[in-house]
Amino acid sequence: MIPRPEHDGKDQALFLRYVKFTYESGVNALKGVTLEIDRGEYIAVVGGNGSGKTTLAKHLNGLLRPTSGQVFVSGADSSTMTSAEMSRAVGYAFQNPDHQLFCGTVQEEVSFGPGNLGLPAEEVRRRTDRAMDIMGLSDLRDRPPLTLSLGLRRRVSIASVIAMEPPVLVFDEPTTGMDAREADELMAIIRKLNGEGRTIVLITHEMKLVAEHANRVVIMADGRIVLDSRTREAFSDTELLRRSNLLPPPVTQLAHKLSQIGVSKDILTPQELVFELTRGDET
Amino acid sequence: MTGLLDLYSEKGSFLHRMDPRVKLIAVLLLSVLAFILAQLLHLLLLLGFILLLLVLSRSSYAKAFFALKFVLRFMVLIIVLWPLFDRSGTPVLFTVGPLDITEPAVWRGVTSAVRVGCFATVWYVLMFTTQQRDLVRALVKMGLRFDYGLALSISFRFIPTFGLTIESIKDAQRARGLELDKGSFVRRSKNYVSVLVPAIVTALRTADTLALTLQSRAYGAVSRRTYLKEIRMRPSDYVALAVVSLLLLVPALAKYVCGMSI
Repeated sequence: MIPRPEHDGKDQALFLRYVKFTYESGVNALKGVTLEIDRGEYIAVVGGNGSGKTTLAKHLNGLLRPTSGQVFVSGADSSTMTSAEMSRAVGYAFQNPDHQLFCGTVQEEVSFGPGNLGLPAEEVRRRTDRAMDIMGLSDLRDRPPLTLSLGLRRRVSIASVIAMEPPVLVFDEPTTGMDAREADELMAIIRKLNGEGRTIVLITHEMKLVAEHANRVVIMADGRIVLDSRTREAFSDTELLRRSNLLPPPVTQLAHKLSQIGVSKDILTPQELVFELTRGDET
Repeated sequence: MTGLLDLYSEKGSFLHRMDPRVKLIAVLLLSVLAFILAQLLHLLLLLGFILLLLVLSRSSYAKAFFALKFVLRFMVLIIVLWPLFDRSGTPVLFTVGPLDITEPAVWRGVTSAVRVGCFATVWYVLMFTTQQRDLVRALVKMGLRFDYGLALSISFRFIPTFGLTIESIKDAQRARGLELDKGSFVRRSKNYVSVLVPAIVTALRTADTLALTLQSRAYGAVSRRTYLKEIRMRPSDYVALAVVSLLLLVPALAKYVCGMSI
Protein backbone atom coordinates (compact mmCIF):
# COMPACT_ATOMS: atom_id res chain seq x y z
CA MET A 1 0.00 0.00 0.00
CA ILE A 2 2.89 2.40 0.69
CA PRO A 3 4.06 3.96 -2.59
CA ARG A 4 7.61 3.31 -3.55
CA PRO A 5 9.22 6.66 -4.37
CA GLU A 6 12.14 5.02 -6.18
CA HIS A 7 9.72 3.26 -8.55
CA ASP A 8 10.59 4.22 -12.11
CA GLY A 9 7.01 3.66 -13.31
CA LYS A 10 8.08 1.67 -16.37
CA ASP A 11 5.75 -1.27 -15.92
CA GLN A 12 3.02 0.80 -14.28
CA ALA A 13 -0.09 1.41 -16.30
CA LEU A 14 -1.58 3.67 -13.66
CA PHE A 15 -0.45 5.05 -10.35
CA LEU A 16 -2.67 7.07 -8.03
CA ARG A 17 -0.82 8.80 -5.22
CA TYR A 18 -2.71 10.02 -2.13
CA VAL A 19 -5.67 11.00 -4.32
CA LYS A 20 -8.39 12.96 -2.54
CA PHE A 21 -11.50 14.23 -4.22
CA THR A 22 -14.31 16.44 -2.97
CA TYR A 23 -17.39 17.13 -5.09
CA GLU A 24 -18.72 20.69 -5.38
CA SER A 25 -21.58 19.66 -3.12
CA GLY A 26 -19.01 19.06 -0.37
CA VAL A 27 -19.09 15.24 -0.45
CA ASN A 28 -15.66 13.75 0.22
CA ALA A 29 -15.82 10.92 -2.29
CA LEU A 30 -12.14 9.92 -2.07
CA LYS A 31 -10.25 10.31 1.18
CA GLY A 32 -6.69 9.57 0.19
CA VAL A 33 -6.39 6.67 -2.23
CA THR A 34 -3.09 5.18 -3.32
CA LEU A 35 -3.25 2.53 -6.00
CA GLU A 36 -0.74 1.03 -8.38
CA ILE A 37 -1.90 -0.89 -11.41
CA ASP A 38 0.71 -2.75 -13.43
CA ARG A 39 0.58 -3.34 -17.13
CA GLY A 40 -1.51 -6.33 -18.17
CA GLU A 41 -3.33 -6.69 -14.86
CA TYR A 42 -7.00 -7.65 -14.62
CA ILE A 43 -8.19 -5.78 -11.58
CA ALA A 44 -11.69 -5.47 -10.15
CA VAL A 45 -12.80 -2.45 -8.12
CA VAL A 46 -15.74 -3.36 -5.91
CA GLY A 47 -17.73 -1.63 -3.21
CA GLY A 48 -21.25 -0.62 -2.31
CA ASN A 49 -23.10 2.38 -3.71
CA GLY A 50 -21.40 5.59 -2.62
CA SER A 51 -18.15 3.83 -1.77
CA GLY A 52 -16.26 5.99 -4.27
CA LYS A 53 -15.54 3.35 -6.91
CA THR A 54 -16.96 5.30 -9.85
CA THR A 55 -15.29 8.50 -8.64
CA LEU A 56 -12.03 6.57 -8.53
CA ALA A 57 -12.59 5.22 -12.04
CA LYS A 58 -13.25 8.70 -13.41
CA HIS A 59 -9.84 9.77 -12.16
CA LEU A 60 -8.18 7.09 -14.27
CA ASN A 61 -8.94 8.86 -17.55
CA GLY A 62 -9.08 12.46 -16.36
CA LEU A 63 -12.85 12.99 -16.32
CA LEU A 64 -12.32 14.07 -12.73
CA ARG A 65 -9.16 15.71 -11.45
CA PRO A 66 -7.93 15.07 -7.90
CA THR A 67 -8.55 17.81 -5.34
CA SER A 68 -5.14 16.79 -4.01
CA GLY A 69 -2.74 14.02 -4.91
CA GLN A 70 -1.52 12.87 -8.31
CA VAL A 71 -2.46 10.45 -11.07
CA PHE A 72 0.33 9.00 -13.22
CA VAL A 73 -0.43 7.38 -16.56
CA SER A 74 2.40 5.16 -17.81
CA GLY A 75 4.70 6.93 -15.39
CA ALA A 76 3.77 10.46 -16.58
CA ASP A 77 2.03 12.98 -14.35
CA SER A 78 -1.42 13.49 -15.84
CA SER A 79 -2.10 16.91 -14.31
CA THR A 80 -1.01 18.66 -17.50
CA MET A 81 -2.81 16.28 -19.88
CA THR A 82 -6.27 17.02 -21.29
CA SER A 83 -9.07 14.43 -21.11
CA ALA A 84 -8.61 13.88 -24.84
CA GLU A 85 -4.92 13.09 -24.35
CA MET A 86 -5.70 10.74 -21.50
CA SER A 87 -8.36 8.99 -23.58
CA ARG A 88 -5.53 7.67 -25.79
CA ALA A 89 -4.08 5.86 -22.80
CA VAL A 90 -7.19 4.91 -20.85
CA GLY A 91 -10.49 3.89 -22.47
CA TYR A 92 -13.66 4.12 -20.40
CA ALA A 93 -16.79 2.16 -21.32
CA PHE A 94 -19.77 3.79 -19.63
CA GLN A 95 -22.55 1.83 -18.05
CA ASN A 96 -25.39 3.29 -20.12
CA PRO A 97 -24.77 2.97 -23.89
CA ASP A 98 -27.59 5.44 -24.56
CA HIS A 99 -25.38 8.15 -23.09
CA GLN A 100 -22.98 7.94 -26.00
CA LEU A 101 -24.60 6.55 -29.14
CA PHE A 102 -25.55 9.25 -31.63
CA CYS A 103 -24.46 8.22 -35.12
CA GLY A 104 -26.50 6.92 -38.05
CA THR A 105 -24.68 3.62 -38.41
CA VAL A 106 -22.70 1.26 -36.19
CA GLN A 107 -19.61 1.84 -38.31
CA GLU A 108 -19.75 5.62 -37.93
CA GLU A 109 -20.30 5.23 -34.20
CA VAL A 110 -17.27 2.96 -33.75
CA SER A 111 -15.05 5.22 -35.86
CA PHE A 112 -15.95 8.37 -33.85
CA GLY A 113 -13.30 7.75 -31.15
CA PRO A 114 -10.33 6.94 -33.41
CA GLY A 115 -11.43 9.84 -35.65
CA ASN A 116 -11.08 12.20 -32.69
CA LEU A 117 -7.51 11.01 -32.16
CA GLY A 118 -6.56 12.60 -35.48
CA LEU A 119 -5.34 9.35 -37.04
CA PRO A 120 -5.05 8.89 -40.83
CA ALA A 121 -8.25 7.63 -42.49
CA GLU A 122 -6.66 4.27 -43.32
CA GLU A 123 -5.76 3.68 -39.65
CA VAL A 124 -9.22 4.77 -38.46
CA ARG A 125 -10.76 2.25 -40.85
CA ARG A 126 -8.44 -0.54 -39.73
CA ARG A 127 -9.19 0.08 -36.03
CA THR A 128 -12.93 0.36 -36.65
CA ASP A 129 -13.03 -2.93 -38.57
CA ARG A 130 -10.97 -4.65 -35.89
CA ALA A 131 -13.12 -3.37 -33.02
CA MET A 132 -16.34 -4.38 -34.79
CA ASP A 133 -14.78 -7.78 -35.47
CA ILE A 134 -13.81 -8.27 -31.80
CA MET A 135 -17.31 -7.31 -30.62
CA GLY A 136 -19.03 -9.42 -33.28
CA LEU A 137 -20.68 -6.41 -34.93
CA SER A 138 -19.33 -6.75 -38.49
CA ASP A 139 -22.69 -7.87 -39.87
CA LEU A 140 -24.45 -4.92 -38.26
CA ARG A 141 -22.10 -2.21 -39.54
CA ASP A 142 -24.79 -0.37 -41.52
CA ARG A 143 -27.55 -0.63 -38.92
CA PRO A 144 -28.52 2.43 -36.84
CA PRO A 145 -27.10 1.66 -33.36
CA LEU A 146 -30.05 3.18 -31.50
CA THR A 147 -32.48 0.58 -32.90
CA LEU A 148 -30.44 -2.37 -31.59
CA SER A 149 -31.23 -4.31 -28.40
CA LEU A 150 -29.65 -3.19 -25.12
CA GLY A 151 -27.05 -5.98 -25.23
CA LEU A 152 -26.02 -5.00 -28.76
CA ARG A 153 -26.08 -1.28 -27.96
CA ARG A 154 -23.66 -1.91 -25.14
CA ARG A 155 -21.43 -3.89 -27.49
CA VAL A 156 -21.39 -0.96 -29.92
CA SER A 157 -20.46 1.44 -27.12
CA ILE A 158 -17.65 -0.89 -25.98
CA ALA A 159 -16.46 -1.32 -29.58
CA SER A 160 -16.28 2.47 -29.89
CA VAL A 161 -13.90 2.55 -26.92
CA ILE A 162 -11.85 -0.48 -28.02
CA ALA A 163 -11.40 1.13 -31.44
CA MET A 164 -9.27 3.83 -29.81
CA GLU A 165 -6.90 0.97 -28.83
CA PRO A 166 -5.93 2.32 -25.42
CA PRO A 167 -3.54 0.17 -23.37
CA VAL A 168 -5.89 0.42 -20.36
CA LEU A 169 -9.64 -0.27 -20.49
CA VAL A 170 -12.06 0.64 -17.71
CA PHE A 171 -15.44 -1.12 -17.72
CA ASP A 172 -18.17 0.35 -15.51
CA GLU A 173 -20.74 -2.34 -14.64
CA PRO A 174 -20.48 -3.82 -18.15
CA THR A 175 -23.04 -6.61 -17.71
CA THR A 176 -25.94 -4.71 -16.10
CA GLY A 177 -29.21 -5.55 -17.83
CA MET A 178 -27.69 -8.32 -19.93
CA ASP A 179 -28.91 -11.90 -19.95
CA ALA A 180 -26.53 -14.67 -18.88
CA ARG A 181 -25.43 -15.57 -22.39
CA GLU A 182 -24.74 -11.96 -23.42
CA ALA A 183 -22.84 -11.37 -20.18
CA ASP A 184 -20.73 -14.51 -20.65
CA GLU A 185 -19.88 -13.51 -24.21
CA LEU A 186 -18.90 -10.02 -23.15
CA MET A 187 -16.75 -11.27 -20.28
CA ALA A 188 -15.00 -13.68 -22.68
CA ILE A 189 -14.20 -10.74 -24.97
CA ILE A 190 -12.83 -8.70 -22.08
CA ARG A 191 -10.67 -11.65 -21.06
CA LYS A 192 -9.37 -11.87 -24.63
CA LEU A 193 -8.49 -8.17 -24.58
CA ASN A 194 -6.59 -8.82 -21.35
CA GLY A 195 -4.84 -11.73 -23.07
CA GLU A 196 -3.61 -9.27 -25.74
CA GLY A 197 -1.78 -7.45 -22.96
CA ARG A 198 -4.33 -4.73 -22.23
CA THR A 199 -4.83 -3.70 -18.63
CA ILE A 200 -8.42 -4.22 -17.52
CA VAL A 201 -10.12 -2.33 -14.69
CA LEU A 202 -13.54 -3.79 -13.96
CA ILE A 203 -15.92 -1.79 -11.78
CA THR A 204 -18.72 -3.96 -10.51
CA HIS A 205 -20.60 -5.21 -7.53
CA GLU A 206 -21.24 -8.59 -9.04
CA MET A 207 -18.93 -10.83 -7.05
CA LYS A 208 -19.33 -13.74 -9.45
CA LEU A 209 -17.65 -11.71 -12.19
CA VAL A 210 -14.87 -10.75 -9.82
CA ALA A 211 -14.30 -14.33 -8.70
CA GLU A 212 -14.24 -15.75 -12.20
CA HIS A 213 -12.24 -13.10 -14.00
CA ALA A 214 -10.17 -10.69 -11.94
CA ASN A 215 -6.72 -11.59 -10.66
CA ARG A 216 -6.71 -8.78 -8.15
CA VAL A 217 -9.48 -7.09 -6.25
CA VAL A 218 -9.65 -3.66 -4.66
CA ILE A 219 -12.48 -3.21 -2.16
CA MET A 220 -13.62 0.33 -1.50
CA ALA A 221 -15.71 1.63 1.35
CA ASP A 222 -16.42 5.21 2.35
CA GLY A 223 -13.88 6.75 -0.03
CA ARG A 224 -10.99 4.52 1.01
CA ILE A 225 -9.42 1.29 -0.17
CA VAL A 226 -10.10 -1.21 2.60
CA LEU A 227 -8.56 -4.22 0.89
CA ASP A 228 -6.21 -4.68 -2.04
CA SER A 229 -5.15 -8.26 -2.64
CA ARG A 230 -5.22 -11.30 -4.88
CA THR A 231 -8.84 -12.30 -5.52
CA ARG A 232 -8.40 -15.67 -3.87
CA GLU A 233 -7.19 -14.15 -0.60
CA ALA A 234 -9.88 -11.46 -0.62
CA PHE A 235 -12.72 -13.95 -0.66
CA SER A 236 -11.42 -15.91 2.30
CA ASP A 237 -11.84 -12.86 4.57
CA THR A 238 -15.61 -13.07 5.03
CA GLU A 239 -15.61 -10.68 7.98
CA LEU A 240 -14.11 -7.86 5.89
CA LEU A 241 -16.46 -8.60 3.00
CA ARG A 242 -19.43 -8.42 5.33
CA ARG A 243 -18.32 -5.06 6.71
CA SER A 244 -18.08 -3.75 3.13
CA ASN A 245 -21.63 -4.93 2.36
CA LEU A 246 -20.32 -7.55 -0.04
CA LEU A 247 -21.05 -11.24 -0.27
CA PRO A 248 -18.66 -13.73 -1.85
CA PRO A 249 -20.18 -15.71 -4.75
CA PRO A 250 -22.45 -18.60 -3.66
CA VAL A 251 -19.90 -21.27 -4.48
CA THR A 252 -17.34 -19.61 -2.19
CA GLN A 253 -19.95 -19.33 0.56
CA LEU A 254 -20.63 -23.05 0.15
CA ALA A 255 -16.92 -23.78 0.35
CA HIS A 256 -16.75 -21.81 3.62
CA LYS A 257 -19.61 -23.91 5.02
CA LEU A 258 -17.84 -27.08 3.91
CA SER A 259 -14.52 -26.05 5.39
CA GLN A 260 -15.11 -28.30 8.44
CA ILE A 261 -14.83 -31.34 6.20
CA GLY A 262 -11.57 -30.05 4.81
CA VAL A 263 -12.66 -28.04 1.77
CA SER A 264 -10.37 -25.10 1.07
CA LYS A 265 -11.91 -21.66 1.78
CA ASP A 266 -10.50 -19.99 -1.31
CA ILE A 267 -12.71 -21.67 -3.91
CA LEU A 268 -13.78 -19.24 -6.62
CA THR A 269 -15.61 -21.26 -9.27
CA PRO A 270 -17.91 -24.32 -9.30
CA GLN A 271 -15.27 -26.22 -11.30
CA GLU A 272 -12.74 -25.66 -8.53
CA LEU A 273 -15.20 -26.91 -5.92
CA VAL A 274 -15.94 -30.05 -7.93
CA PHE A 275 -12.23 -30.63 -8.32
CA GLU A 276 -11.63 -30.05 -4.61
CA LEU A 277 -14.44 -32.44 -3.61
CA THR A 278 -13.45 -35.25 -5.97
CA ARG A 279 -9.81 -34.90 -4.93
CA GLY A 280 -10.98 -35.11 -1.33
CA ASP A 281 -12.69 -38.43 -2.13
CA GLU A 282 -9.50 -39.94 -3.45
CA THR A 283 -7.42 -39.19 -0.37
CA MET B 1 -26.69 20.21 -8.30
CA THR B 2 -30.14 19.49 -6.91
CA GLY B 3 -29.40 21.77 -3.96
CA LEU B 4 -29.50 24.82 -6.19
CA LEU B 5 -32.33 23.76 -8.46
CA ASP B 6 -34.70 22.94 -5.65
CA LEU B 7 -34.72 26.00 -3.45
CA TYR B 8 -37.08 24.52 -0.86
CA SER B 9 -35.72 23.55 2.53
CA GLU B 10 -37.64 21.79 5.25
CA LYS B 11 -38.09 24.22 8.15
CA GLY B 12 -40.96 24.73 10.54
CA SER B 13 -41.75 28.43 10.04
CA PHE B 14 -45.30 29.82 9.82
CA LEU B 15 -44.60 30.50 6.16
CA HIS B 16 -44.01 26.79 5.62
CA ARG B 17 -47.32 25.94 7.24
CA MET B 18 -49.32 28.52 5.30
CA ASP B 19 -51.76 27.33 2.64
CA PRO B 20 -49.81 27.35 -0.65
CA ARG B 21 -52.75 29.11 -2.37
CA VAL B 22 -52.50 32.00 0.09
CA LYS B 23 -48.75 32.17 -0.42
CA LEU B 24 -49.14 32.23 -4.18
CA ILE B 25 -51.77 35.00 -4.03
CA ALA B 26 -49.73 36.94 -1.46
CA VAL B 27 -46.66 36.85 -3.67
CA LEU B 28 -48.68 38.02 -6.67
CA LEU B 29 -50.24 40.88 -4.67
CA LEU B 30 -46.88 41.97 -3.23
CA SER B 31 -45.38 41.90 -6.73
CA VAL B 32 -48.19 44.16 -7.97
CA LEU B 33 -47.59 46.42 -4.97
CA ALA B 34 -43.93 46.77 -5.93
CA PHE B 35 -45.06 48.16 -9.27
CA ILE B 36 -47.71 50.50 -7.80
CA LEU B 37 -45.37 52.13 -5.31
CA ALA B 38 -43.39 54.96 -6.86
CA GLN B 39 -41.53 56.58 -3.99
CA LEU B 40 -38.19 55.21 -2.94
CA LEU B 41 -38.97 55.35 0.79
CA HIS B 42 -42.13 53.25 0.35
CA LEU B 43 -40.31 50.75 -1.81
CA LEU B 44 -37.58 50.48 0.80
CA LEU B 45 -40.26 49.79 3.42
CA LEU B 46 -41.67 47.04 1.21
CA LEU B 47 -38.20 45.57 0.66
CA GLY B 48 -37.68 45.67 4.43
CA PHE B 49 -40.98 43.81 4.93
CA ILE B 50 -40.01 41.16 2.37
CA LEU B 51 -36.56 40.71 3.93
CA LEU B 52 -38.29 40.33 7.30
CA LEU B 53 -40.37 37.52 5.76
CA LEU B 54 -37.13 35.97 4.48
CA VAL B 55 -35.68 36.05 8.01
CA LEU B 56 -38.91 34.64 9.46
CA SER B 57 -38.84 31.80 6.91
CA ARG B 58 -35.70 30.56 8.73
CA SER B 59 -33.96 29.92 5.43
CA SER B 60 -30.34 28.88 5.76
CA TYR B 61 -27.84 31.70 5.28
CA ALA B 62 -26.18 29.79 2.45
CA LYS B 63 -29.39 29.60 0.44
CA ALA B 64 -30.51 33.14 1.21
CA PHE B 65 -27.07 34.43 0.30
CA PHE B 66 -27.04 32.42 -2.92
CA ALA B 67 -30.42 33.87 -3.93
CA LEU B 68 -29.71 37.45 -2.88
CA LYS B 69 -26.38 37.45 -4.67
CA PHE B 70 -28.25 37.22 -7.98
CA VAL B 71 -30.76 39.88 -6.96
CA LEU B 72 -28.00 42.22 -5.75
CA ARG B 73 -25.97 41.87 -8.93
CA PHE B 74 -29.03 42.73 -10.94
CA MET B 75 -29.80 45.75 -8.75
CA VAL B 76 -26.26 47.10 -9.08
CA LEU B 77 -26.50 46.68 -12.85
CA ILE B 78 -29.71 48.73 -12.94
CA ILE B 79 -28.28 51.49 -10.73
CA VAL B 80 -25.20 51.77 -12.95
CA LEU B 81 -26.95 51.57 -16.32
CA TRP B 82 -30.08 53.65 -15.64
CA PRO B 83 -28.48 57.13 -15.61
CA LEU B 84 -26.56 56.28 -18.79
CA PHE B 85 -29.78 55.92 -20.76
CA ASP B 86 -32.04 58.36 -18.89
CA ARG B 87 -30.53 61.81 -19.27
CA SER B 88 -33.54 63.97 -18.37
CA GLY B 89 -33.76 66.44 -15.51
CA THR B 90 -31.39 68.74 -13.67
CA PRO B 91 -29.01 69.28 -11.99
CA VAL B 92 -26.33 67.53 -13.98
CA LEU B 93 -24.05 65.84 -11.48
CA PHE B 94 -21.12 65.24 -13.82
CA THR B 95 -20.38 64.59 -17.46
CA VAL B 96 -18.67 61.49 -18.82
CA GLY B 97 -17.73 62.15 -22.42
CA PRO B 98 -20.98 62.79 -24.27
CA LEU B 99 -23.08 61.58 -21.31
CA ASP B 100 -24.71 63.84 -18.74
CA ILE B 101 -25.40 62.07 -15.45
CA THR B 102 -28.31 63.88 -13.79
CA GLU B 103 -29.42 63.63 -10.16
CA PRO B 104 -33.08 62.65 -10.83
CA ALA B 105 -31.92 59.89 -13.17
CA VAL B 106 -29.68 58.43 -10.47
CA TRP B 107 -32.63 58.37 -8.05
CA ARG B 108 -34.90 56.82 -10.66
CA GLY B 109 -32.26 54.13 -11.18
CA VAL B 110 -32.09 53.40 -7.45
CA THR B 111 -35.90 53.30 -7.24
CA SER B 112 -36.17 50.83 -10.10
CA ALA B 113 -33.43 48.70 -8.61
CA VAL B 114 -35.25 48.48 -5.26
CA ARG B 115 -38.49 47.67 -7.11
CA VAL B 116 -36.84 44.80 -8.96
CA GLY B 117 -35.25 43.73 -5.67
CA CYS B 118 -38.70 43.52 -4.01
CA PHE B 119 -40.14 41.66 -6.96
CA ALA B 120 -37.36 39.04 -7.11
CA THR B 121 -36.91 38.50 -3.38
CA VAL B 122 -40.59 37.87 -2.67
CA TRP B 123 -40.60 35.03 -5.22
CA TYR B 124 -37.51 33.59 -3.57
CA VAL B 125 -39.37 33.58 -0.24
CA LEU B 126 -42.14 31.57 -1.91
CA MET B 127 -39.71 29.06 -3.40
CA PHE B 128 -37.80 28.72 -0.12
CA THR B 129 -40.90 27.87 1.88
CA THR B 130 -43.08 25.92 -0.55
CA GLN B 131 -42.46 22.49 -2.02
CA GLN B 132 -42.86 22.34 -5.76
CA ARG B 133 -45.56 19.72 -5.51
CA ASP B 134 -47.50 21.91 -3.03
CA LEU B 135 -47.36 24.74 -5.54
CA VAL B 136 -48.73 22.42 -8.20
CA ARG B 137 -51.36 21.18 -5.74
CA ALA B 138 -52.40 24.78 -5.09
CA LEU B 139 -52.69 25.48 -8.82
CA VAL B 140 -54.80 22.34 -9.35
CA LYS B 141 -57.00 23.31 -6.41
CA MET B 142 -57.42 26.75 -7.95
CA GLY B 143 -58.75 25.20 -11.14
CA LEU B 144 -55.77 24.05 -13.20
CA ARG B 145 -56.51 20.75 -14.97
CA PHE B 146 -54.85 17.88 -13.11
CA ASP B 147 -53.11 16.70 -16.31
CA TYR B 148 -51.33 20.01 -16.67
CA GLY B 149 -50.51 20.05 -12.97
CA LEU B 150 -48.99 16.59 -13.26
CA ALA B 151 -47.02 17.58 -16.35
CA LEU B 152 -45.72 20.59 -14.44
CA SER B 153 -44.60 18.59 -11.42
CA ILE B 154 -42.98 15.96 -13.63
CA SER B 155 -41.00 18.69 -15.39
CA PHE B 156 -39.82 20.09 -12.06
CA ARG B 157 -38.95 16.62 -10.89
CA PHE B 158 -36.84 15.79 -13.94
CA ILE B 159 -34.80 18.99 -14.19
CA PRO B 160 -32.04 17.75 -11.86
CA THR B 161 -32.17 14.21 -13.28
CA PHE B 162 -31.76 15.55 -16.77
CA GLY B 163 -28.88 17.77 -15.68
CA LEU B 164 -27.04 14.70 -14.40
CA THR B 165 -27.77 12.81 -17.63
CA ILE B 166 -26.24 15.60 -19.71
CA GLU B 167 -23.13 15.62 -17.51
CA SER B 168 -22.82 11.87 -17.92
CA ILE B 169 -23.20 12.14 -21.71
CA LYS B 170 -20.52 14.84 -21.86
CA ASP B 171 -18.20 12.59 -19.85
CA ALA B 172 -18.92 9.64 -22.11
CA GLN B 173 -18.04 11.64 -25.24
CA ARG B 174 -14.96 13.16 -23.63
CA ALA B 175 -13.82 9.62 -22.87
CA ARG B 176 -14.01 9.02 -26.64
CA GLY B 177 -11.52 11.81 -27.21
CA LEU B 178 -14.00 14.59 -27.98
CA GLU B 179 -12.93 18.09 -27.00
CA LEU B 180 -16.22 19.88 -26.54
CA ASP B 181 -14.96 23.42 -26.09
CA LYS B 182 -12.21 23.50 -28.64
CA GLY B 183 -12.19 24.94 -32.12
CA SER B 184 -14.31 27.43 -34.02
CA PHE B 185 -17.96 28.16 -33.30
CA VAL B 186 -19.08 25.81 -36.11
CA ARG B 187 -16.73 23.09 -34.85
CA ARG B 188 -18.06 23.43 -31.29
CA SER B 189 -21.69 23.40 -32.44
CA LYS B 190 -20.98 20.23 -34.37
CA ASN B 191 -19.36 18.72 -31.29
CA TYR B 192 -22.52 19.34 -29.31
CA VAL B 193 -24.55 17.16 -31.71
CA SER B 194 -22.86 14.21 -30.01
CA VAL B 195 -24.31 15.42 -26.70
CA LEU B 196 -27.73 16.52 -27.96
CA VAL B 197 -28.67 13.31 -29.78
CA PRO B 198 -28.09 10.99 -26.79
CA ALA B 199 -29.79 13.55 -24.53
CA ILE B 200 -32.93 13.60 -26.69
CA VAL B 201 -32.93 9.82 -27.07
CA THR B 202 -32.57 9.36 -23.30
CA ALA B 203 -35.37 11.87 -22.67
CA LEU B 204 -37.67 10.05 -25.08
CA ARG B 205 -36.89 6.68 -23.52
CA THR B 206 -37.56 8.14 -20.06
CA ALA B 207 -40.86 9.64 -21.23
CA ASP B 208 -41.88 6.30 -22.70
CA THR B 209 -41.14 4.46 -19.46
CA LEU B 210 -42.92 7.15 -17.48
CA ALA B 211 -46.05 6.81 -19.62
CA LEU B 212 -46.08 3.05 -19.02
CA THR B 213 -45.60 3.60 -15.29
CA LEU B 214 -48.53 6.02 -15.17
CA GLN B 215 -50.75 3.62 -17.09
CA SER B 216 -49.80 0.69 -14.89
CA ARG B 217 -50.93 2.77 -11.91
CA ALA B 218 -54.33 3.34 -13.48
CA TYR B 219 -53.74 6.98 -14.33
CA GLY B 220 -56.93 8.47 -15.76
CA ALA B 221 -59.08 5.44 -14.88
CA VAL B 222 -61.65 7.59 -13.10
CA SER B 223 -62.44 11.13 -14.17
CA ARG B 224 -62.94 12.49 -10.63
CA ARG B 225 -59.85 11.69 -8.69
CA THR B 226 -59.37 11.94 -4.95
CA TYR B 227 -56.30 13.25 -3.17
CA LEU B 228 -54.29 11.82 -0.31
CA LYS B 229 -53.38 15.28 0.93
CA GLU B 230 -56.17 17.87 0.86
CA ILE B 231 -55.19 21.49 1.34
CA ARG B 232 -57.55 23.42 3.59
CA MET B 233 -57.66 27.06 4.61
CA ARG B 234 -57.13 27.55 8.35
CA PRO B 235 -58.10 30.72 10.28
CA SER B 236 -54.48 31.93 10.21
CA ASP B 237 -54.52 31.60 6.42
CA TYR B 238 -57.55 33.90 6.20
CA VAL B 239 -55.77 36.41 8.43
CA ALA B 240 -52.67 36.30 6.25
CA LEU B 241 -54.77 36.72 3.12
CA ALA B 242 -56.59 39.72 4.66
CA VAL B 243 -53.32 41.38 5.75
CA VAL B 244 -51.72 41.03 2.33
CA SER B 245 -54.90 42.22 0.57
CA LEU B 246 -54.96 45.34 2.74
CA LEU B 247 -51.27 45.89 2.09
CA LEU B 248 -52.07 46.18 -1.59
CA LEU B 249 -55.54 47.72 -1.33
CA VAL B 250 -54.66 50.74 0.85
CA PRO B 251 -51.83 52.08 -1.34
CA ALA B 252 -53.80 51.23 -4.50
CA LEU B 253 -56.85 53.22 -3.28
CA ALA B 254 -54.64 56.08 -2.15
CA LYS B 255 -53.01 56.25 -5.55
CA TYR B 256 -55.88 55.61 -7.96
CA VAL B 257 -58.93 56.92 -6.00
CA CYS B 258 -57.51 59.73 -3.88
CA GLY B 259 -54.85 60.61 -6.43
CA MET B 260 -52.07 60.67 -3.84
CA SER B 261 -48.49 60.31 -4.97
CA ILE B 262 -47.07 57.30 -3.16
